Amino acid sequence: MATYALRRVLQMIPLLLLISLVIFGLTALQPGDPVDQLIFGNPRITPEDVARLREAYGLNIPWPQRYVSWLLRAFQGQFGYSRDFGIPATQFIFTQRLPNTLLLTIPALVISTLIAVPLGIYSAIRQYSVMDNILTFLSFVAFSAPVFWIGVMALYLFAVYLPQVTGGAIALPPGGLGNLSPDDGFWPYWLDRLKYLILPLSILMFREIAATSRFMRASFLEVIGQDFVRTARAKGLPNRSVIFKHALRNALIPIVTILGLSIPGLFGGAVLTETVFSWPGMGRALLDSLVSKDFNVVMLCLMLLAILTVVFQLLADLAYALVDPRIRYS
Amino acid sequence: MKKILALSALLLGAAAVGPALAGPANNSLIVGTSQEPPNIYDPWVTNNLAITSEINNWMGAGLTGLDNDGKLYADMATTVPSVANGGYKIVKDAKGKVIRNSLTYTIRPDAKWSDGSQITVADFEFWLMVQNDDRVPVPDRYPYENAKITRGANNKTFTITFDPPYLFAEQAGAPGLAPSVSMKAAWTAFDTATKGQKPSDTVNEQWIKFLNQFTTSNNLPKVVAGPFKPTAWRPGNSLTMSRNTNYWRKPSGGESKYVQTVTYRFIPNTNTLKVNVLSGQVDALATVGLSFDQAIDLQRGQRKFTTSFVPGSVWEHIDINTRGQKAKDLELDNPNIRQALLYSIDRASLVKALFQGKQPVSNVFINPLATVYKKDVQAYAFDAAKAKALFAAAGWTPGSDGILQKGGKKFSLNFGTTAGNSVRERVQQILQAQWKAVGVQVNIQNYPASVFFGADFLSKGAEGKWDLAMYAWISNPIFEEGDLFKGSGVPTTENGYSGQNNSGWINADYDKLQLQARTEFDPAARNKLFDQMQSIWAKNVPSLPLYYRVNPYIQANGLANYDFSAYTLYPTWDAYRVGWTSKGAVSAHKQKE
Repeated sequence: MATYALRRVLQMIPLLLLISLVIFGLTALQPGDPVDQLIFGNPRITPEDVARLREAYGLNIPWPQRYVSWLLRAFQGQFGYSRDFGIPATQFIFTQRLPNTLLLTIPALVISTLIAVPLGIYSAIRQYSVMDNILTFLSFVAFSAPVFWIGVMALYLFAVYLPQVTGGAIALPPGGLGNLSPDDGFWPYWLDRLKYLILPLSILMFREIAATSRFMRASFLEVIGQDFVRTARAKGLPNRSVIFKHALRNALIPIVTILGLSIPGLFGGAVLTETVFSWPGMGRALLDSLVSKDFNVVMLCLMLLAILTVVFQLLADLAYALVDPRIRYS
Repeated sequence: MKKILALSALLLGAAAVGPALAGPANNSLIVGTSQEPPNIYDPWVTNNLAITSEINNWMGAGLTGLDNDGKLYADMATTVPSVANGGYKIVKDAKGKVIRNSLTYTIRPDAKWSDGSQITVADFEFWLMVQNDDRVPVPDRYPYENAKITRGANNKTFTITFDPPYLFAEQAGAPGLAPSVSMKAAWTAFDTATKGQKPSDTVNEQWIKFLNQFTTSNNLPKVVAGPFKPTAWRPGNSLTMSRNTNYWRKPSGGESKYVQTVTYRFIPNTNTLKVNVLSGQVDALATVGLSFDQAIDLQRGQRKFTTSFVPGSVWEHIDINTRGQKAKDLELDNPNIRQALLYSIDRASLVKALFQGKQPVSNVFINPLATVYKKDVQAYAFDAAKAKALFAAAGWTPGSDGILQKGGKKFSLNFGTTAGNSVRERVQQILQAQWKAVGVQVNIQNYPASVFFGADFLSKGAEGKWDLAMYAWISNPIFEEGDLFKGSGVPTTENGYSGQNNSGWINADYDKLQLQARTEFDPAARNKLFDQMQSIWAKNVPSLPLYYRVNPYIQANGLANYDFSAYTLYPTWDAYRVGWTSKGAVSAHKQKE
């Protein structure tokens, strides 16, 4: 196993280099650059200004040469400055955006898993019951309703309509991070953040619950139809014991794999939810930097996601061998 | 399950605690905007975003400023320099040609930075020195590239001289300023690190490091000159500013009667912005906020808010590509054909149907507020019969499918604009139908803004990348130079595709007049030149003028002095007087529509 893990780690190096080359190339080749944007907004810009600005931004250098220079600096831990925000790209990502994203995505994943797993089991055990049909219907609603619509509807309901009809007794903020700063005290600050977190978290969880509960339901239905479950029942074990001791542990294996692989996604943020709820996270950072050609931020975001994806893929593969004795790496 | 129930109870408990409402209760102002500025109070304006300028108005102060009527007022200066008071001087050569001009300013004795230190000539000298430094990536140095500051009798008086002369010096020649004392150490570090180097990526990074110390969310400006100073910037969420008591101009009745803190909330989704307005979480919207449609929608049935549609300086038009083989084949380089295209469309009905008539039809590229605007320019009112006659005269006759054809070629045009802009897409559909009625086939091909305005589209008309392109130009009615359509502005390889004359129209007479107007200091004579330029332009129609856009914005009732015009551009121009009438703020001016 150790040899296998080491070999996979070594394989990651050329893979990540290739990914960085592809990302850099695609980013550099996308139409338009920051100077184009300046040219278009300013009729007074002269050809001399254009040449000077291209030099200043290093855009007069061919992109493969720029890539080599970026790579050499990246190896030293220098990812340059965000052109949009004037601060180091690492600072922008790791101190300003990533914490917000993790505050949203980790609770969403944890809470939705805690809700979805029992719901999935319930649906499987009571297959085709009224409750199962209701849960199935709600799952389809969650899958079909786009976040930009359901999010705005939720905002309208909780920030405009309900405050009006309840005289403000039920009211949630219409997006944002919060009004208070840590200087206002620990509890007031975090209660304020929680208030602003409720709606985006709920919307994100709605879809997560739908997805995970459907996986859980399918996995459980497959397991309870297998011979070892029938044998456990034939031995006269109580239903609770059959379900929780025998079926559940086996049905959870694919869920664990799916959750393991979704961890890198936690870092990528949820661009639509973040946009609708004015939540400045990684998703928006990536989208905005792509639109405004903030290359250093784009590269750092995408490379971070690439590294996390390959690392967690390896961990998921290794974990699979641990939970399923039939799999051995040699 | 119990844990889940407990968590739900916690969430509902929190839900019952409603968010604090915005409003005059604590004499504060909360403004919603869909964009966040990359940085604030950058004295050299290295980013040209509207939201940056709008927010900077709270913190900035200049020697002079423009009011809603386009009239100059003194801010940091004791008086507005003019020919009458001897502050504005024009020097002519023996032939009467203006060779240089200059402005003399005296800084108010009570003009101070927010830390209480004096604002002096050194702050203007420092600004000008950095502005013209080769290593600094300012977008353009105009009109200061050859300007010189000469000190007066003391450190509060100076003269700025433009040689060659600057045409708009009297209205807009005041130089910027930067806190020389506060920035000195950082500038010396930049200067030492990049001494003798040419502009490059590494020099630029040093520049960002320098600027980063004074303009970002991590390092708020150390000192400002204007009526408000930044106090907190939560990236991606909000920016808060509070009163700068060292600001010299005091509003009627005293500062305490006007807003004490201003918070900008950054809400990228405009539907969410709407919800914020409806829920009363914001008191006003920035000009970078709602679309025209959304503003119209919000206007209905609102009593707490006022929606205003301010005539702006944004000209919406369709460029006709006169370059490339296809343009020659379809005779788009023939003014009669372009006139026929304009006669074919009913712009008056279009603005009525789509914009309730709030965005007026335009007939020329110059803003009606500009003094050089020609009112009686040829208008080309909708006349399908005339359009057909012009096409027929050029040999274009309808084929069996109703589409105009000549010599086996069909009159079929590709019509592009920025994809996703719903207003423009609706305009396109209406125009497509109107052109079809006269036999012109129009194929809509839209592109994302990054492609449309990118290096490979609009400026590459010579390669036949497009036939018709709809977009807008922003202009200031004061600084009209007519350079959008000058021949040297046609984007080519030689000029690095830096020109804005995307239609590729070149007219020797127009160019001659435009060049003359650039150095004509007599307003009456200049108006005559522009009169002729507009007549030539209207006769040639290199672009199809559509309409002048208005800027919609919203403010809670009772907010005073939060208004603007095409001259002031943003409702923050008179920041020191923005306040709630319920708190005693005196209204000095109101929104004109």
